[in-house]
Amino acid sequence: MNRKHKTFLSRTGIWLLRLRVMTVKELLQLSRDFILIFFVVYAFTLDIYSAGAGVTLQLNKAAMVFHDNDRSFASRELIGRFQEPHFSNKGEISHPSEGVRLLDRDRAMIVLDIPPRFQECLLMGEPANVQFQVDATNSVLGFLAASYGERIVGEFGMEAGLKRLGMSTGNVAAPMIKDDHRVWFNPNQNDAWFMSITELLNIITVFSILLPAAAMVREKERGTIEQLLVSPLTPFQIMVPKMLAMTLVILAGTAVSLFAVMEPLFHVPIKGSVLLFFGVTTLYILNTAGLGLFAATIARNLAQVGMLTVLIVAPMIFLSGAWTPPEAMAPWMRLFMYISPLHYYIDSCLGILLKGAGLEILWDSVLIMVLLGGAVFGVGMWRFRRQFE
Amino acid sequence: MNGKRILAVAHKEWREIIRDRLFFSLAFMVPAFLMILLGYGISLDVENIPFVVMDQDGSRMSREYTYRFIDSRYFDFKGYAHDDHTLKMLLTDNKVRAAIIIPEHFQKDLLMGRPTHVQTLIDGTFPFRAQTTKGYVTAISTAMSRELLAEYLARTRGISHERAWGIVQPVKLAVRYLYNQSVKSIWSVAPKLIMVIMMLSPPFLTALGVVREKESGSIYNIYASTVKRGEFLLGKLIPYVAISTMNLFILWLMATKLYGAPFKGQIIFFVLSSILYVVCTTGIGLVASLFVRTQIAAIIVTIILTMIPAVLYSGCLIPIPSLSGQAQTIAHMLPAMYYTNIVMGSFLKGVGLKSLWPNVLILAGYATVLFTIGFSLFSKRPRS
Repeated sequence: MNRKHKTFLSRTGIWLLRLRVMTVKELLQLSRDFILIFFVVYAFTLDIYSAGAGVTLQLNKAAMVFHDNDRSFASRELIGRFQEPHFSNKGEISHPSEGVRLLDRDRAMIVLDIPPRFQECLLMGEPANVQFQVDATNSVLGFLAASYGERIVGEFGMEAGLKRLGMSTGNVAAPMIKDDHRVWFNPNQNDAWFMSITELLNIITVFSILLPAAAMVREKERGTIEQLLVSPLTPFQIMVPKMLAMTLVILAGTAVSLFAVMEPLFHVPIKGSVLLFFGVTTLYILNTAGLGLFAATIARNLAQVGMLTVLIVAPMIFLSGAWTPPEAMAPWMRLFMYISPLHYYIDSCLGILLKGAGLEILWDSVLIMVLLGGAVFGVGMWRFRRQFE
Repeated sequence: MNGKRILAVAHKEWREIIRDRLFFSLAFMVPAFLMILLGYGISLDVENIPFVVMDQDGSRMSREYTYRFIDSRYFDFKGYAHDDHTLKMLLTDNKVRAAIIIPEHFQKDLLMGRPTHVQTLIDGTFPFRAQTTKGYVTAISTAMSRELLAEYLARTRGISHERAWGIVQPVKLAVRYLYNQSVKSIWSVAPKLIMVIMMLSPPFLTALGVVREKESGSIYNIYASTVKRGEFLLGKLIPYVAISTMNLFILWLMATKLYGAPFKGQIIFFVLSSILYVVCTTGIGLVASLFVRTQIAAIIVTIILTMIPAVLYSGCLIPIPSLSGQAQTIAHMLPAMYYTNIVMGSFLKGVGLKSLWPNVLILAGYATVLFTIGFSLFSKRPRS
């Protein structure tokens, strides 16, 4: 009995030792590729910094020129209301055709045209039409610009109309619905928080698919896999250390960007549990690493792995619901999103970091990630075994 | 430069690509597949925002106000909530993105001619969506306020309804959307996707081309041959540029026929500048591949250099002027931004060489610089 126990112990000991040796081998191999390490470091620090610091998805200083045919007090007052942050006034143009030329050359996004007799109309209570030409090549921004413009002109008009009656909008005796917005979780709508977090998640996705897949195929391509196959290692012991090593590297990178870039530089609030964040991240990395290994079993050389990765990663990143709102997607397209682990991962991470959500709220996303990951990993393992039988 | 030797290298590369069947089919499948997936998937319109209402008034007017949101295509009504705790849970769990709280005495205040305050809670994790949601809420509230005010003025001042309207809204903003009259998202997305996909796929194809030879050692055949380095690089590039040009044509067909995006520009100008762009992106792959020793590094470097910048710093989702200083610098360093101008100009604006020539010039310069770097990095006498 005792002896049996001992052999069992020494067996697990050997099993663990093999796992460790193989993991260390992967880490060593990775650390000797200087340029690769350089880019891993770059991606987790500078790349995330520039995404967080530089990118905003809002209408910001839209270049506007105006053509004032009235040159009155009222027209100047209206033009003066088109201000930063949404608009940036680039000055007056002398002729409408100049406006078209500026729009064509991307020098301006909006041309505001105020008709003659504008002030007179206002004073007489006649309707006045102000023209607003918007470059809608970027449909969202075009739409936003128009809606901000409508708001400014609407407020201006209402004030002018009421002033004529001797009332003012500040006057309490007017029935109006005022809405008070309160933006939760990110009160100042700081883009840096959102952009740096999603950028980090994208980087994690790229690396966790690519690194294990490449490590696998490289062995196949160079033939060193034959060495591993004649060794006493099982397929599991060959495959899992690759994933473990890469997971360690990626987790280290994540920690660096979270604590050295995002928290000190962008003041991203880490409201929830850090432990939970890293737990979910590990789960996600293993998840996508499974996808990568699955790709690696299909591909015979690294060129194929590269193309397959683009095929997997690009849709994952684009359709994760981070850059484009999932609610507006076509229903059948949303199906793709629902099978992508990144979608659940983004929800969980934003939930943990910004909203302070715990497992009691995120359990469904985590559960789906476990199920998806298990399925992918199982298929990958099965394909990998079959390859060498 | 000997044309015959360039052709020989190109021919050899072409054979190698064709014989790797999976790679060859992926080279054509990946761009087309991405175009379909992203074209149908990327919709920037903020629509169907899930929201709940907490109606503390429960009056006719508060219901009317709620119905304005329910009827709007921008909102997706998820029901009524009854207490603050439920609201908080729903927002934290991503079940809703906005909550509207209508106060008590909503109807009474309005009928008495007093302003009333409606509170909107918005999920700010996606700042851009929060911004747009705010805009929608304000628009709906303002529209209703205006009607109420006009009614009130007509009632209290004894003036006609039309006059009251004229007072409430004396100035109208006549908005004209240029280039994309119906503000169709796909019209602005499809042409930009050509730019994004052509930024992704050619560098990949090429980057692996040179490193593969380095890693497998077959590069020694080149070192030992009479092929000059310029000839080798040109010959290497030709097949990849050819494949990418074919892809470009397929993507153009998809953008115009499948997605119905209008092409208003000059076709010859577009084709030539597109090939120039493809040469640029292929060149990025070439430089990346000369710079690294292993294929993994080549893949990582090209992904980091192309995939994310192609979206963030190209003017695809975010216009260049909205970027901050540092991001603008990155944007100006990549060819994507210049080609975005060309694509959008050719598709939606219908302008040609006359106003787009600076972009073409920069792309040409870019291609030259890349090729020069490649030329100086590649040596037939490696040190180690």
